[in-house]
Amino acid sequence: MTPEVTNPVLELKKLTVHYGHKRVVDDVSLTLAPGQTLGLAGESGSGKSTVAMSVLRLLPRTARVDGEILLDGHDVQTMSWGTLRAVRWASASIVFQGAMHSLNPVRRVGDQIAEPMRLHGTPGRVTELLEQVELPLEKARAYPHELSGGQRQRVMIAMALACGPRLVIADEPTTALDVVVQAQVLTVMKRLVAEQDLGLLMISHDLSVLAETCDDLAVMHRGALVERGCTREVIANPRHPHTAALTAAFPVIGDPAHRWAEPAAAPEPLLEVRDLVVDYGRTRAVDGVDLTIGQGEIVALVGQSGSGKTTLARTIMGLRKPSSGRVIFDGAAVPLKGRALKAFRRQVQLVLQDPASALNPRHKVLDAVAEGLRVHRIPGDEESLVTAAVERAELRPANLYLDSLPHELSGGQQQRVVIAGALVLQPRLLVADEPVASLDASVRGEIVALLLRLRRELGLASLIITHDLGLAWQIADRVAVMHQGKIVEQGSVEQVLLNPSHDYTRALLRAVPQV
Amino acid sequence: MNRLTGFSRAGMAGAAILVVAALVALIAPLLISADALDVTRVTAAPWQTPGAQHWLGTDHTGRSVALLVVQGAGTSLFVGLTAAVLSVGIGTLVGIVSGHFGGLVAGALLRVTDFFLVLPALVLAIALSTVLPRGLGTIVLAIGLTSWPSTARMVRAQTLTIEARPFVERARALGGGHGHVIGRHVLPSVVPLVLVNTTLAVASSIVAESTLAFLGLGDPTRISWGAMLHQAQLHGAVPQRAWWFLLPPGLAIVVVVLAFTLVGRALEAVVTPKR
Repeated sequence: MTPEVTNPVLELKKLTVHYGHKRVVDDVSLTLAPGQTLGLAGESGSGKSTVAMSVLRLLPRTARVDGEILLDGHDVQTMSWGTLRAVRWASASIVFQGAMHSLNPVRRVGDQIAEPMRLHGTPGRVTELLEQVELPLEKARAYPHELSGGQRQRVMIAMALACGPRLVIADEPTTALDVVVQAQVLTVMKRLVAEQDLGLLMISHDLSVLAETCDDLAVMHRGALVERGCTREVIANPRHPHTAALTAAFPVIGDPAHRWAEPAAAPEPLLEVRDLVVDYGRTRAVDGVDLTIGQGEIVALVGQSGSGKTTLARTIMGLRKPSSGRVIFDGAAVPLKGRALKAFRRQVQLVLQDPASALNPRHKVLDAVAEGLRVHRIPGDEESLVTAAVERAELRPANLYLDSLPHELSGGQQQRVVIAGALVLQPRLLVADEPVASLDASVRGEIVALLLRLRRELGLASLIITHDLGLAWQIADRVAVMHQGKIVEQGSVEQVLLNPSHDYTRALLRAVPQV
Repeated sequence: MNRLTGFSRAGMAGAAILVVAALVALIAPLLISADALDVTRVTAAPWQTPGAQHWLGTDHTGRSVALLVVQGAGTSLFVGLTAAVLSVGIGTLVGIVSGHFGGLVAGALLRVTDFFLVLPALVLAIALSTVLPRGLGTIVLAIGLTSWPSTARMVRAQTLTIEARPFVERARALGGGHGHVIGRHVLPSVVPLVLVNTTLAVASSIVAESTLAFLGLGDPTRISWGAMLHQAQLHGAVPQRAWWFLLPPGLAIVVVVLAFTLVGRALEAVVTPKR
């Protein structure tokens, strides 16, 4: 299926990269022609970013690179410093992952877009570039913090295009963005690649994003290229088991095979939110929300970033005071302070998005899990309670993990520790804020299955906050869609996701990348 | 590994100097007889140049400068350490309280901090030591009460950084109160910084003590390096060209302060996570 490669922009021949004795990229060969789009998929640690950085020789000094990296037919490895400087950005440029961290916060974005043009003496106008990425011209005078996440990512793309490169490398360009903005950014990238006959190498852990943008797909696993071919074929008939695992991890909305939650009878209400309003100064973050979570029910709260869903969750947990309205838990209003609030918090536990930062890096697993027990002075043998909770969270055998520090564990294991820390208090409701967003595809499925098993075995109700409609389809009984502080639609998963009645829900569903 | 070797060069040298200084300060009072330091009982002639009998010569009353320097180490180190602990203690308390509680409490505490920060510490210390009865305690108090604001600012910044981390939110969601969050999460991450700050504060406290003593505001009954310089200045060591009376206490201050700074910097490099 690969088109006739006559003059490739990028050609990797047997690229191998070592850090010390560790081989992070293992014998990777790739070619990319102008106008071709290639997606590079893989989990964290698969070496995909190392491949990208090696193209512009941006790897740290400790890396040992073997093999050839041919950019427009010239080997990057043997280039002199001056040639390399000329090649960087002028013939290949990179769109980095975190736009907030890659932009200088104290300079106007217009100046930052102009910077590579000035350095390379390329003619061109910032206004043209802004037009290409569909940003209003007056945004050139804005500082990064004045722009939204999607706008910042567009600035990054404009910057990458500034010197008219033949190759653009995009490293997880949409990871931090929500579905609607992600769809807009991907559309811009696709159009620019088609218009300017660029080669695009796009790196992501999210197959659906790559499927949306790229004609060809390469899958990396433990440093090696395990599969390469036309995107549709690779996803439809994966030949390597790792590719199959990656494709299976992203649920398809509407596919019964990806619907893991089993249907349950309408339960007794456990938590009721009545006409809740939360103000931040003058802005109204939550605007008159009614929401009910039944005993043992899993409710997904979906919406874009900034829709107020996180504020709603914090208020339910009593971490923030409502401006008006009520939260009723198990028939009684949630207390606002003192011992009663502390007792309430035992019943409702929080699981945060990024497990790495939700655990104190100085605390061992034992201490992190036992923290709740110590706060509530729960009698009993601490170690056996902790062991039971850790094993419930499927870290077996527990004694292998109790003495580890968080950084010694993988992302999935860290999230299990956070869940164990919640389980040890025997809560009745789990509030999970994007519980799988920062996890690798293969781990993601395991954590989702764990949450469902906890519901089945312990009758644990959950409120899952997410921008990922696929996750809602996979796990939830009911879905509530939040938009600008209001819940615009709620109902059973099938009803809301397959037969939406509100325009905003339809817009959200349209933005989900299709595999 | 790298951090240890980084520490071992300058830091170890500083630590070695401090150990020697501390030993001298502890042992000296036991070995030196009171007679040798009593102005009324010394027998040697004043203003003697350094020689075999008096290694560093004698002062205006005939006391041995070498013995005075050794005897003065105790006072300088004691005042330096206690004043530093006092100032870092106040600073840590104010920093954590204002960082953790926020709101009105923080506002009030920060204004007080700013007040002490803009006031010239030396002038305030002089004012305090003239008002209060003379003595070692007064000097410690004067230095301790004037040098805490920078610690408070730093500890507050660190407290705010830690409190913004998700694991503090998790601790709150688990039901942890103020005591739990401060004790289990904020303090452990502030302590290393405070430790480093203490070593650096000792150095500046020793300088402050010497300054006060040099200006004649010290405890007149005790020998300290600053007080020696004060005496030298008062009794005309400069017109006498008695360099042996001026240089030794001055060098002693420089060496000990340098040693504390070296140790502090080395500790700082160990404590600060490298990325």
